[in-house]
Amino acid sequence: MKHNRCMNVTLGSSLLLGAVLVSSQSLAAGQITFVSQGGAYQEAQTVAILDPVAEALGITIHQDSAPDAWPMIRTQGTTGQAVWDVVDTPPFHCVRGGEQGLIEPLDFSRIPNAESMPDEYKTPYSVAYEFYSSVLAYNPDAFDGNPPQSWADFWNVEDFPGNRSLRNHPLGTLEAALMADGVPLDELYPLDVDRAFGKLEEIKPHITTWWTSGGQSAQLLYDGEVDMVMMWNGRVSAIIEEGASADFTYNEGILQNTHLCIIKGAPNLDTAIEFLNAAIDPEYQANLPLHIDYGPGNPAAFDTGKISDERAQELPSSPENAALQVLSSYDWWTSPEGEEAERRWLGFMQQ
Amino acid sequence: MLVLMLPAILVVFTLLVVPMGWLFWQSLYAEGGFSLEHYRRIFSEGIYWNTFALTFRISFIVTLLALLMGYPVAYAASILPQRWAMLVLALVILPFWTSVLVRAYAWLILLQRSGVVNQTLMASGITDAPLPLVHNELGTIIATVHILLPFMVLPLYATMQKIPYDLMQAGASLGGSPLHVFLRVFLPLSMSGVLAGMTLVFVLCLGFYITPELMGGGRTVMASMLVSRNIQLYSDWGAASAVSVVLLVCVLAIFYVVGRLISLEKILGAK
Amino acid sequence: MNHKLSLGRILFIGYVVLVLLFLILPVLIVVPMSFSDSRFLSFPPSSYSLRWYEAFFGHAGWMSAARTSLIVACATALIATPIGVAAAYAINASSHWIMRYLKIVLLLPLIVPVIIVAAGVFFIYALSGMLHTIPGLIMADVMLALPYVVTAVTAGLHGFDKTQEMVARSLGMNRFRSFMTVTLPQIKPSVLTGAIFAFIQALDETMVALFISGGRNQPLTVRMFTALRDEIDPTIAAISTLLTAGSFALVMMMVLARKQTPA
Repeated sequence: MKHNRCMNVTLGSSLLLGAVLVSSQSLAAGQITFVSQGGAYQEAQTVAILDPVAEALGITIHQDSAPDAWPMIRTQGTTGQAVWDVVDTPPFHCVRGGEQGLIEPLDFSRIPNAESMPDEYKTPYSVAYEFYSSVLAYNPDAFDGNPPQSWADFWNVEDFPGNRSLRNHPLGTLEAALMADGVPLDELYPLDVDRAFGKLEEIKPHITTWWTSGGQSAQLLYDGEVDMVMMWNGRVSAIIEEGASADFTYNEGILQNTHLCIIKGAPNLDTAIEFLNAAIDPEYQANLPLHIDYGPGNPAAFDTGKISDERAQELPSSPENAALQVLSSYDWWTSPEGEEAERRWLGFMQQ
Repeated sequence: MLVLMLPAILVVFTLLVVPMGWLFWQSLYAEGGFSLEHYRRIFSEGIYWNTFALTFRISFIVTLLALLMGYPVAYAASILPQRWAMLVLALVILPFWTSVLVRAYAWLILLQRSGVVNQTLMASGITDAPLPLVHNELGTIIATVHILLPFMVLPLYATMQKIPYDLMQAGASLGGSPLHVFLRVFLPLSMSGVLAGMTLVFVLCLGFYITPELMGGGRTVMASMLVSRNIQLYSDWGAASAVSVVLLVCVLAIFYVVGRLISLEKILGAK
Repeated sequence: MNHKLSLGRILFIGYVVLVLLFLILPVLIVVPMSFSDSRFLSFPPSSYSLRWYEAFFGHAGWMSAARTSLIVACATALIATPIGVAAAYAINASSHWIMRYLKIVLLLPLIVPVIIVAAGVFFIYALSGMLHTIPGLIMADVMLALPYVVTAVTAGLHGFDKTQEMVARSLGMNRFRSFMTVTLPQIKPSVLTGAIFAFIQALDETMVALFISGGRNQPLTVRMFTALRDEIDPTIAAISTLLTAGSFALVMMMVLARKQTPA
């Protein structure tokens, strides 16, 4: 008798399990999976953009995060099994992915909010979402009134001793190395990859950690693991607000943006396009700078009256700040040379 | 009887044996035909060579440390009265039941520049400046030893427990000092446990991924990370398969050689 | 002589205690960290709060990951246990030469480095459309759990007197019934051990899941891995305290089950 009950329990639980599996898959309408880069930035855009858009469109937005979305874009594109819909990632991923058939081309007739955006803010596969900058951040306590202010200072280990960290990714890092080596800001592109890796070789022994995600870079500076680090400006501001002893300079920052693009064969393609259009709506875009020091991807956001002039001045893309920085070229990073530089990175890390 | 085996065999066969065969085939396939190109690359390119060298070096160090730390603990557990022995074993097994990820997190707390270990070292005057204990090879090794130590202690204890106490007493009654008895009687009898534990730790370490990825500071690239990056970053199945096959051959060779001395079940049984 | 001996003994005990501290301290330190009020790693925490428990229980992403993990772990135990018991029974009952080799095949998931298992399963799933699905995760975990179930149950069957089942069969029961009524109750503790091992294995599995899960069907470990790599998020400390308490309770259950029926 006893084993009978046991069998019943087993049978019952498998039925229950089946029911759970089926029900979790039948919720398909009005939802998307949106992927960004986690941490303070993802929290900020959830409040500023994602939650209001979800409410306005009556959809559910599932969130995922990936500090480097490229491997997953590749996997999902090449296996034809997409689980993501919309990805917030640097434009060269979108364009390169588009050219390799991993990203959906966009039908701009269905994205009216993109119409007023300048052409350089759009690609056939993506639209600009936000502006940020990779800046030199430091712990002022470690430098006694004379903090590093340029990449040359960052590379100068004698006058600026201390633990350093760079991103475990060539984007921005190669640019910084060339600036440290004396290449003028307006002559950076096309990047001299050999020269950049040569310069990186110099600083490599002094790098404590190669960070992989924005959150990790914030952690390193906050915990005093490193004294200077190249990181994203919004992440520095976030830890300064939390009471960390930290500061940064826009000087020689690398001004970048991320775009929104849609994975090839996205499971919720229609909703994804609807979402994409809403996410670059100037009204929602204007919310972003109120929650993190990043600029809107759609310049029309500045006309909404939500962003005060003082606030605009603080953003990485303000004319005053932009003048100190170099604008990252997604054209170059999409090119075969850019892709090759990315491949070369792994070898560089292992030598 | 074979019918009863069938479901289990089928699962392992489709999810493990078949893909391994396919990996093997992929590693020999390049530019539309049979080729040893991927292997040539592994053995000639610095990236691969360095990675394998690092993987083996870390595995050796971890195995050695685990033995030095694990042997006395297992010995203590085998000679202590039952109640104390149980306590020792419970303390060995408890971290075993804690997620590897959690332990990596704990080691980050302990080893970082302003972490507990560095604070203690500086407060006691051993060092003036914080030591770089994490985000490098050292951090990887410390966390890996912590994770693999139970795999050393348990087979050692299983062997030592079976060494008859009478034998030790006989040795002592013949006038040998305790150290002498230990070296001449106990140590040789525990060697099969030593071999089992070392094999298990070494082999597990060869394929380790999580600790070097989280504690290695981006530059401690072990063989498993090379496999994962080649697949996920570059979709380069040829290179990934060749690295996998080399890794697998090393592991199987170790099991084969050790298996001639002690049974496979003895090595794995303690898990 | 006696004095020297005790000095040696003190050093030995001291060393063993140090090693045990090395083992146990990192596990314990996570508990106070989980009640920290700060998002950063300073220890001891400057003030205490439940915010990381709230972060876990109040976040849809974490909750859905926890649900995925529980579903997968339960299903793994439910599937791996019966097929593992069947295989162990066959290994024990038959003396055919092929059994020895089949047993090694069943131990393969323990022998092959898990990264290779992960790459292989990823490949098979990419072909068959099982990537990022819950059934895919379950099957992979069943495979990884089989060696534990088979080993535990074989050990249990080893101590069992086969003639009892023979007697039952001679009384006219068929093989299945005699197994269920005579053998199974006696090897229950080792079957339970195997099931719990399978459950915990599935709950703790990270590497294969990193390759084959994605989107909404991520288990807890994958989310924890990314949270740890990307944010060093203290929510992990809260989860781990819960997990440690949970697996500790399971182990205690296992010990109690053993005590009740000495095998």
